[in-house]
Amino acid sequence: MIVPLTHVLLLAAVLFCLGLGCVLAWRTNVIMLLIGIEIMLNAAMLAFVGGSCHWGRADGQVFALLIIAMTSAEVSLALAMVVYLHRRRKTVNVDDFHQLREP
Amino acid sequence: MKLALELILLLPLLASLCHALLGRVLPRRLVETLACGAIWGSFVATLAAAAIYNGPVTIELGSWLTAFTFTAPLTLYLDPLSLSLCLMITLVCGLIHLYAVGYMQGDPGYCRFFMLLNLFVGAMLLLVLAENLVLLYLGWEGVGFCSYALIGFWYQKPENATAGRKAFIVTRIGDVGLALAIVLCFQYFDTVSITRINQMGSAVPLGLITGLGLLMLLAAMGKSAQVPLMVWLPDAMAGPTPVSAQIHAATMVTAGVYLLMRLFPLIGLSAMVTAAIAVTGGLTALYGATCALVQRDIKRILAYSTISQIGYMMLGVGAGALTASTFHLIEHAFFKALLFLGAGCVITALHHEQDVFRMGGLRRTLPTTFYCFLAGAVCLAGLPLTGGFFSKDSILAAVWQQGGTLYGGLYALALFTALLTALYTFRMVFLVFGGNSALPGPGSPDRSPSPLPPVMQWPLVPLALLGLGGGLLNLPAYLGQGLLTQFLAPLDDGGHGIALATELGLQGVAAVVALLGLALAWSRYGAARRGQRLIEAGQPATGLTAFLLAGWQVDGLYRLLVVRPYVWLAGLLWQQVDEGLIDDTLDRVALLLGRCGRGLGSWSCGRVSVYLLSLGSGAALCIGWFAWVAL
Repeated sequence: MIVPLTHVLLLAAVLFCLGLGCVLAWRTNVIMLLIGIEIMLNAAMLAFVGGSCHWGRADGQVFALLIIAMTSAEVSLALAMVVYLHRRRKTVNVDDFHQLREP
Repeated sequence: MKLALELILLLPLLASLCHALLGRVLPRRLVETLACGAIWGSFVATLAAAAIYNGPVTIELGSWLTAFTFTAPLTLYLDPLSLSLCLMITLVCGLIHLYAVGYMQGDPGYCRFFMLLNLFVGAMLLLVLAENLVLLYLGWEGVGFCSYALIGFWYQKPENATAGRKAFIVTRIGDVGLALAIVLCFQYFDTVSITRINQMGSAVPLGLITGLGLLMLLAAMGKSAQVPLMVWLPDAMAGPTPVSAQIHAATMVTAGVYLLMRLFPLIGLSAMVTAAIAVTGGLTALYGATCALVQRDIKRILAYSTISQIGYMMLGVGAGALTASTFHLIEHAFFKALLFLGAGCVITALHHEQDVFRMGGLRRTLPTTFYCFLAGAVCLAGLPLTGGFFSKDSILAAVWQQGGTLYGGLYALALFTALLTALYTFRMVFLVFGGNSALPGPGSPDRSPSPLPPVMQWPLVPLALLGLGGGLLNLPAYLGQGLLTQFLAPLDDGGHGIALATELGLQGVAAVVALLGLALAWSRYGAARRGQRLIEAGQPATGLTAFLLAGWQVDGLYRLLVVRPYVWLAGLLWQQVDEGLIDDTLDRVALLLGRCGRGLGSWSCGRVSVYLLSLGSGAALCIGWFAWVAL
């Protein structure tokens, strides 16, 4: 492999931090939060695939496929919930949904 | 014999139990009859026991405490000493109970009163009859408890309740001595049986006997109101008068003297103990007599005179004259009960006036009471040929016979006390019964004496006869052998062989001293001088009078030395240590934890972004830590 593992891992780390930053910073929209989570999951997948390529073993790639499947399921559910929440509360601001806290 | 002893003890206790359980549902007349009947039944049982008595007997009623080698069965012991005391106690208490029926009429708390009064007698009889020290201690504490409850009988008034507590706490100091002595006895003799302990005196070191004797003396000081634990007795006047009579005459203060007499075969082996007992008795006799000289409250005069007379008994025990002490104890029970009951009559007749300076002229309005009271007074003063004269003289003779500087000095002290005794006794008689009529009181315009129920008057008569004729119980050797001396002979080895001339001389001196006291009292309080004293009494007391009136300021001294440091320490421990240190620390810790909790609680605010941020920073910390460890 021409790309060294270090570079792949660095890229994954940068991606992860970007996703985390998106989750933490962009609080006015639930959809942006979901996108941030997707980016972090992709960063993890990238690290899995890089590792799998480096050691020549398949299980990392299997794991990546598993994550893809799980992500698609999650996004479909989450988006449905976003639509539902927007219908109820007329807002998509993350911080407005805090009814589950301790009284 | 066993049945008689059981009846002596059980009748008062059962009556007391009956009052406690059923007193409220029974008619009043029945409760009173039951209370008196129990004591008189006990007296009859004692008479029966005396009739079939032929030598000391030990009777075991049942087992009580048993643990390893320690056994304290319910064993009674009847010997001349306990038999004569039982006779005296049941007789005097029976008369006091009859009197109490009259005294307490109209008082709603009669059930409680007779319950406690019967229990009091039962506890005292248990104390007297007990064969082992633990059983004796049970009676000892029972007597203490009953005195506490009866002194504070009218507990709604705080000073009465305080007097009861004072009696309880002060006697408690002495009780510690007795408890320690019992434990020591068991440790060294391996038994608590009094008869066996008394035989084992020669087998143990003298130091131990001295220690035991001093502890017993401490116990007797508390119970018998001896110097320095005498402060509770004058305040014990707060109780109803029959209670005072019973405490002073029969059931309470003689317990200490009895304890010392009971264990005299043991503790008499130590010369130091007998000397300590004698000195305590002599000092107490003087103390009581001096205080009684200036008191104004008739019951307080009698209380101080009791302290003084008990001092004589202790002096007799210290001189080894057990017969003389027992004689004086019994004689004192008769005339002191008489004086107290008489004082109760006077107080009731005068609508609860207790100040002797505001009484007067009662010899005409209350003739029965006057003659009986006079009989008690001549006995107390020890005028010749009364019972009190013979009993007091036998103690004086025993002290004289001991010889030596110490006992010589004590004899002089006791003789001087006898002078004071005659003086204060007749001061009281002249002030209460002499003169023309009572001064008009400011608060109560109607000062004419109210009529007394006959049941309060006639118990005085047998007591007066017993007091006056009590000398017949134990006539001096030259008038025929004394009944009590013969009876108590196995108990006593002192007081024999006194020369006739010496005895007559001593009796002559005692008689002269008593008559001198009477003359002094007459010259100060008799006839016309009485009015002058009444005017003087209007002024507040000063100097020596105030000092004696306050009982040598012993109360003040104890307040300064014991009560105030104790209160200060209690305040310190309460406000500084308990509330300040312990409570405050806990409060602060709780406050801190509460604040922490509230601070942490505000973290879970329900905002997803905060949770995410916490998650992220936590993950970053973990990763940072692992990276730090790995590199």
